[in-house]
Amino acid sequence: MALFGRRNVLVAMLLFAAVAPTFLNAYYLFVANTILIYVLLAIGLNILVGYAGQLAFANAAMFGIGAYGTGLLQVHFGWPFWLAFPLGALIATMVGLAISLPALRLSGLYLALSTLAFAQFTQWVFLNWEPVTFGAGGFKTPPISFAPLPISKTLGLYYLSLILVMVLFALAQNLVRSRIGRAFVAVRDGEIAAESLGVDLLRYKALAFGISGFYAGIAGGLYSAMLNFVSPEGFDLFQMVIHKAMIIVGGLGSIVGSVLGAGTLVFVLEALRKVKGVQEIAFGAILVGFILFMPGGIIGYLKEKVRGWEEPLHRARASRRPPVAATSESSEVRP
Amino acid sequence: MELLVYLLLSGLTTGSLYALIALGIVVVNKATAVINFAHGELFMFSGFVAWMLHVQMGVPYLPSLLAAVAFGFLLGAATDLIAFRPLKNANIISLVLATIGIAFMLRGTARVIWGGKGDYLPFPPITSPEPIMIGGIMVIPQQLAVLAGSIVIMVAFAAFFRLTRAGKMMQATADNAKAATLAGIRIDRIYMLSFGTGAAIAGAAAALMAPLTLLYPDMGFSFFIKGFAAAVLGGLTSLPGAVLGGISIGIIESLAGGYLHSSFIEVSAFIVIMFVLVVRPTGLLGSTRFRRV
Amino acid sequence: MNEALLSVRGVSVSFGGVKVLDGIDLDVKPGEIRGLIGPNGAGKTTMLNVICGIHPPHQGDVLLDGVSIVGRKPSAIARLGLGRTFQTSQLFRGMTVLENLMTGLHHRTTAGFVAASLNLRRYREEEEAAEEAARQALEFIGMSAFADRPASALSFGQQRVIEIARTLISDPKVVLLDEPAVGLSLNRLAEFDTLLRRIRDEKGVTLILIEHVIRLVMDVCDQVTVLSSGRRIAEGTPDAVRNDPGVIEAYLGKELRARHSAS
Repeated sequence: MALFGRRNVLVAMLLFAAVAPTFLNAYYLFVANTILIYVLLAIGLNILVGYAGQLAFANAAMFGIGAYGTGLLQVHFGWPFWLAFPLGALIATMVGLAISLPALRLSGLYLALSTLAFAQFTQWVFLNWEPVTFGAGGFKTPPISFAPLPISKTLGLYYLSLILVMVLFALAQNLVRSRIGRAFVAVRDGEIAAESLGVDLLRYKALAFGISGFYAGIAGGLYSAMLNFVSPEGFDLFQMVIHKAMIIVGGLGSIVGSVLGAGTLVFVLEALRKVKGVQEIAFGAILVGFILFMPGGIIGYLKEKVRGWEEPLHRARASRRPPVAATSESSEVRP
Repeated sequence: MELLVYLLLSGLTTGSLYALIALGIVVVNKATAVINFAHGELFMFSGFVAWMLHVQMGVPYLPSLLAAVAFGFLLGAATDLIAFRPLKNANIISLVLATIGIAFMLRGTARVIWGGKGDYLPFPPITSPEPIMIGGIMVIPQQLAVLAGSIVIMVAFAAFFRLTRAGKMMQATADNAKAATLAGIRIDRIYMLSFGTGAAIAGAAAALMAPLTLLYPDMGFSFFIKGFAAAVLGGLTSLPGAVLGGISIGIIESLAGGYLHSSFIEVSAFIVIMFVLVVRPTGLLGSTRFRRV
Repeated sequence: MNEALLSVRGVSVSFGGVKVLDGIDLDVKPGEIRGLIGPNGAGKTTMLNVICGIHPPHQGDVLLDGVSIVGRKPSAIARLGLGRTFQTSQLFRGMTVLENLMTGLHHRTTAGFVAASLNLRRYREEEEAAEEAARQALEFIGMSAFADRPASALSFGQQRVIEIARTLISDPKVVLLDEPAVGLSLNRLAEFDTLLRRIRDEKGVTLILIEHVIRLVMDVCDQVTVLSSGRRIAEGTPDAVRNDPGVIEAYLGKELRARHSAS
């Protein structure tokens, strides 16, 4: 394994994340937690856009649905966070599945329009269904408790986020290397050919929408708990652009790329947090700049320049072959 | 009855603005088979330019409008240069996201120059702001001015498309790009011209609308999505379809606002879009055409 | 009649009032290599699209192994054992050659969302078997060395052959090939009839082949069906069809005349 290959770098990042709370101050811990939440968003969106090739714009809305779902179930029904959180994610998943229904008939620009309309509709519901959503002002969520664990809310939420990122990263990584990941890419690269090989378009489009809804829903629940506050403003079009920029910067069609893109852009977002206009200009420019000059994103650069970052869509056979043969490219021997 | 007529008239007015935005979207789509997602921001930005000239610098209204048209054209052509020409052969996702990037650069720039979120800049009306009564129906003169202005712009655009050399070349390219290339039309120029013309119409619409409402940096997207919806309703490649689609959405919004609740103005368009796309994805007047997707 | 593996019964299709296919019948026996020829616009590709479920026919029926497949989704028809290749290369460009072939096994594998994302053992075994099958398929076409190349890096001719292998990997009963020889180098073309016969003999796959390279059709096909303007104008052995006056007039005639005037 290459020293700076994917596995080693990821392990180093994970170790850093695990010990980070011992030396980070409250603000940087908040930033770190935000990164973890955006990693989930980026992975889910990358499966939908980068792997399955669906040009959808509803991710910020599903993030919002997860946050509102988790928050409102606590506020209106007095449910504990531990019940409201998974249910909020489930609601976002269901919504994701529901908006995939038109996706079979719509492709490209039409899908973009219908999901944009859906995102605007969701925003409208957050703003106008005041008896339930408390309107433009938003609402406070009850503080969550990690009792009986002897751990503060901030620290507990950070580790909860970290564990969820680890688990959901691993699940996504396994998934894209399986027949399901290949079916997603087949749908993206050629719907007709995919169908002729027995790939059911509706099933896999729905699955991709459902997965991205689930990841966004989990992220939304964590977000509401982290801020103790939910308002429509957090889930607007700018949020949508942040998510899109993350997967472009990290690299479309890459789970690790999603992690790198989310990490990088949360720092940019925080550095520019004072002026919204400047944030918008920066994210717009990042989007255009990467698409024009680095279309493969950070991961594309790493795959090209550094050994050990390849991301095959199948499991490497390293276990059954001597390692030398598995890594050498040119000496592929015909069996 | 009077309420209905009033609502229809105001729906027609807003609808004619949506129609102008939809026209711009269709012009670009006919030539390039893509959608410029920065179209709404080009509209917003041109509107601010008109405001700056007219309100801040005291330039008369008509030259300000023409300046907005010219500025819109330049922004549209720049969008082509930055986000379309280098990406012509890239996939649709990159193309769309690049235009969204431009949209946010413009939106952020407008926010930095002309004020933060929630700052609404008023534009002085060009006619008397007092409503007048025509046959027992309340009419705001400014609405009539917008309606008349929209019709003038549509007619001017139709004449440009039918009569001028540039317009005919755009039409020929839209019909058959390969044949147009063989006939010696420089297709990259046509693409740029289409992006420019589309945005110029949006610039005119913005200057026309400004006296009727308020300008704010976030207004672009809402107009874009309704113009986009109007274009899809009309089949995405039909110019008359875009006009009909825009007017339909304006009237639906107005009726929903008048008979249900004012908060339904905004959302009714989105519901209509989702419904139409699910039931009839090619629009009301649309023919099935090979799409680049 | 009952011995036909694939039956097309009275199929008609029209687009905008124009009859593209007009009451076509076709019966293909198991183990047959059937040629489908005809001038441009005869409706050959439409015919394949009807069989594999992309265009529903306006009239008529299509039976695979005695079961009607009209009205089913293309993916469902593929699962019943019908494979196809396309006129233009349809390899998935974001995958390697090996992954393309493994995708060909999609409906022969079963791992679901849970098994795959949790990396369960049953799924891992299936995945290893799929990879093995993909490598064998590459060996069958003599392209093992290309396994880990990105599909987009191959020549057009290589893509075409790999596409055929991708279709064969799931052991289909019938494979429809739409102009498979287009883009092949002369070397490959020389071996191509051998490849088609090996597919039939070693894999037991019935082939239906649209082809403009007449020599290939005459060499390799057991039976040839000739379409012209949406109708079937002749059917029989290559020799019989070659000598059919109607065919000569409608199709071969043009070619022959062109060839005579060229030489």
